[in-house]
Amino acid sequence: MKLVWQTLLLISTLLAQQSHAATTVQDVNAFTLDNGMKIMVLEDSSIPNANMYVFWRVGSRNEYPGITGLSHFFEHMMFNGAKKYGPKMFDQTMEAAGGSNNAYTTENITVYSNWFPTSAMETIFALEADRIEHLAIDQKMLDSEREVVSSERTTGLENSNFRAIWEEVKGAAFRAHPYSWSVIGHASDIENWRLDDLKQYHKTYYAPNNAVVVIAGDVKVADVKKLALQYFAPIPAQPKPRAIHTVEPEQKGERRVYLQKESVTTPNIMMAYHVPNTQHEDHYALDILNSILATGKSSRLYNALISEQQLASDIFTYLPETIDANLFYLYGVAAKDVSAQTLEKAMIAEINRIIKSGVTEKELQKVKNQKMVEFYRTMSTINGKADTIGSYEIYFGDYQKLFTAPQSYNQVTNADIQRVAKTYLIKANRTVGILSAQKDSNDADL
Amino acid sequence: MMRIFKTLALVSLIFTSVSSHGAYQLPSYEKLTLDNGLTLFLMEQHEVPLIDISIVTKVGAVNDAAQSGLANITVENLVLGTKSLTKARLDDQLDYIGASLFSSANLEFSQLGASFASKDQHQVLPLLSEMVLSPRFEQAEFDKFKKRYLLQLEQAKESPKSVINQYFNRLVFGENGYGSSVTGDHKSVNNITLSEVKNHHHAWYTPNNSAVVVVGDFDSKQMKSQLNALFGQWQKAPLPQQPTLQLATTPKHSKLLLVNKSDAIETTFLIGGKGIARNNPHSVGISVINTILGARFTSWLNDALRVNAGLTYGARSRFDAYSQAGNFYISTFTKTATTIEAVDLAIATYNKLWEQGIDEQTLASAKAYVKGQFPPKFETSSQLNALLVDMYGYGFDESYINTFEQQVNSLTPERTKALITKYFPKENLQFVLVGKADEIREKVTKYGQVTEVNIQDEQINIY
Repeated sequence: MKLVWQTLLLISTLLAQQSHAATTVQDVNAFTLDNGMKIMVLEDSSIPNANMYVFWRVGSRNEYPGITGLSHFFEHMMFNGAKKYGPKMFDQTMEAAGGSNNAYTTENITVYSNWFPTSAMETIFALEADRIEHLAIDQKMLDSEREVVSSERTTGLENSNFRAIWEEVKGAAFRAHPYSWSVIGHASDIENWRLDDLKQYHKTYYAPNNAVVVIAGDVKVADVKKLALQYFAPIPAQPKPRAIHTVEPEQKGERRVYLQKESVTTPNIMMAYHVPNTQHEDHYALDILNSILATGKSSRLYNALISEQQLASDIFTYLPETIDANLFYLYGVAAKDVSAQTLEKAMIAEINRIIKSGVTEKELQKVKNQKMVEFYRTMSTINGKADTIGSYEIYFGDYQKLFTAPQSYNQVTNADIQRVAKTYLIKANRTVGILSAQKDSNDADL
Repeated sequence: MMRIFKTLALVSLIFTSVSSHGAYQLPSYEKLTLDNGLTLFLMEQHEVPLIDISIVTKVGAVNDAAQSGLANITVENLVLGTKSLTKARLDDQLDYIGASLFSSANLEFSQLGASFASKDQHQVLPLLSEMVLSPRFEQAEFDKFKKRYLLQLEQAKESPKSVINQYFNRLVFGENGYGSSVTGDHKSVNNITLSEVKNHHHAWYTPNNSAVVVVGDFDSKQMKSQLNALFGQWQKAPLPQQPTLQLATTPKHSKLLLVNKSDAIETTFLIGGKGIARNNPHSVGISVINTILGARFTSWLNDALRVNAGLTYGARSRFDAYSQAGNFYISTFTKTATTIEAVDLAIATYNKLWEQGIDEQTLASAKAYVKGQFPPKFETSSQLNALLVDMYGYGFDESYINTFEQQVNSLTPERTKALITKYFPKENLQFVLVGKADEIREKVTKYGQVTEVNIQDEQINIY
């Protein structure tokens, strides 16, 4: 019996390995139009649909005081009418062709995604080309959209504790670099930016040489090339936008912020440490450290603070992909009757344990295993493929790095993890934010 | 091996034919029943080397009665260790291979499962089987779990969006049945003991009340023999008496539940009433109409409240359907000062379904939209797994999927009129508003009979 089982296992494992078609670097077909727009195509006929992701190299890092939030606002305005397709027609035309869309803005980029049955591909090209080249920014649409974005800002703050404290922490951690403000921007800027600000923004940043386009799905590379030449190639290139030269001065002592919100149940703590950008050699070690700290119930922070000491009810870490040096976040929500101070101390103790003793080989291997499964999960949808390929092109400088990522993770050693923890996760480099229902005032202090 | 051959004789192979015009069809899968009554669903998908597996048991919050939250707490405790593995060792083993474990209950069924690399099939399946058949149920872990769970109940009240649907179900369906709370409240949960959890598990988790759903990169023949070895000995048992579900009656007047959140900076609200059951034969047509009303960007509600009026970031409508009934609601949010304006506009826009009706052009656009957006809903193993779980849990079949395109195509403006009249609640709408009560209390009385509660309140008496 045993022998039969083993044989069956072996055969099925071999079959399984042969039968699925994992995406490889050769499956991505990349080309650049004369106007500088880079396009990547991935054929995948698993469903009769395709997508188009347009990545623009513009985000809140390209803003300055007075126009904070403009990148995100602009994302909204891109749906409000151009030359061929006037107000409301972008969405009406796309939906009537069976397509849908969305968009998102981050500190670094603005991404527009279109999802459609392959039969609608030419319509999608026509719609994108029209708004890229001929966006018509109308004062009436601007005023109405201002209200929409104010509502988006409000609903985020109403429903998310993370959003509320995040704004405060970023503001303290950065005093020079534009990562200082939230992507949605300051309320008073949302209320006051002008038509001219938007026009200037479009001209500067929405040039084909500032975009990366990814198309994945049931398409043929030749068809995509033909449509790209017809619709995108005629859009003129613009001068390269001025580089963001501001470098955040080195932080030399802990900074602290406090935010009171009545409906908060137990204190929330956000700790943010300055770290280098995604293309820096320490990125992979930091990313593995990020997982060792808080991915899964066996992770350092979850196990120690939730399972063992029961000081936290929720815990996570976040290392954003980023163009400029940014922050590594730790977030904890206190357990019932646990003070912010107690939780903060316990979180720091776990960091210090890694600085002092490093991590185990088993933890390192665990994260590498997890990364592999995550990779397969991402590549199981055409949207996962398109979004990841585009993100790698922007953040790592080359989409091909997506396919060498497993090797890059494999090269990280225990010593690397300990070194990055020791280098970056230290007090002087930290901003701590506390969100609590308790008022930050006490007459006895005076 | 004998048992497997016997089981194979009972296999009912389900092949779906590809229709001539290439409309989307659910990939073929196998459904079979083991000797002990356990149902298996097996669907091979080889695009990526992953497997998604769920073990579903037909017991949910509708069965909780006075022990509100019990079904949910039971399934959450199944993943806290097995007879042979402590919680810490179980977590270690699954994390090490990058497997993600999930467990949850809803109104009608409970499920636990995992998503993992196909090479780890022989490691993960025995663990899942142990969690369901011989959970650890250790007092210390239960106590820790309960303490954190109680806090999470409080934390949910920090966000109107995370609690508003429960209020609405309570308003539409009453205190029991589909008005039950999946999570339970502080008082009911505080009273639940580990022995009650054990009893619940013993009574409801039987093979004749459960299914194992597997989708992904595996070999069916070999998967069947492994499942048979792991679950074949699970003992069949009679089920406890099922409660008769109290279904919503047509309301005699409009009611409005005003939930005060004193630091609210906006009002979050739902408006609606009774909806449809999962197996409603007209659900495809109804969903096309709802797409026009509130389920795409250019929908009437989003166009009116967001695009034209700038009152909100988004307005939508949806049907939540359960096995025997369901609800329908419009949902949106707006800053406190524009609450009445937004509610009025939502109602006026909704009334266009009757006053204006749906014209040919709008219908054609919606048809193209729902058809174009359909295939990506069933692209991955985990999406297909969720669909098969719903089919078992809510008792509907794949005809919904396989006739989708044909049903969409056959819809006419006349037909939409009949469906609107029959299935969209028009009279005596029900309202839930979560916001700063002091600033809106006086003005909302025009919508219906008002009951005001505080978001922190446990007991809600709606008159």
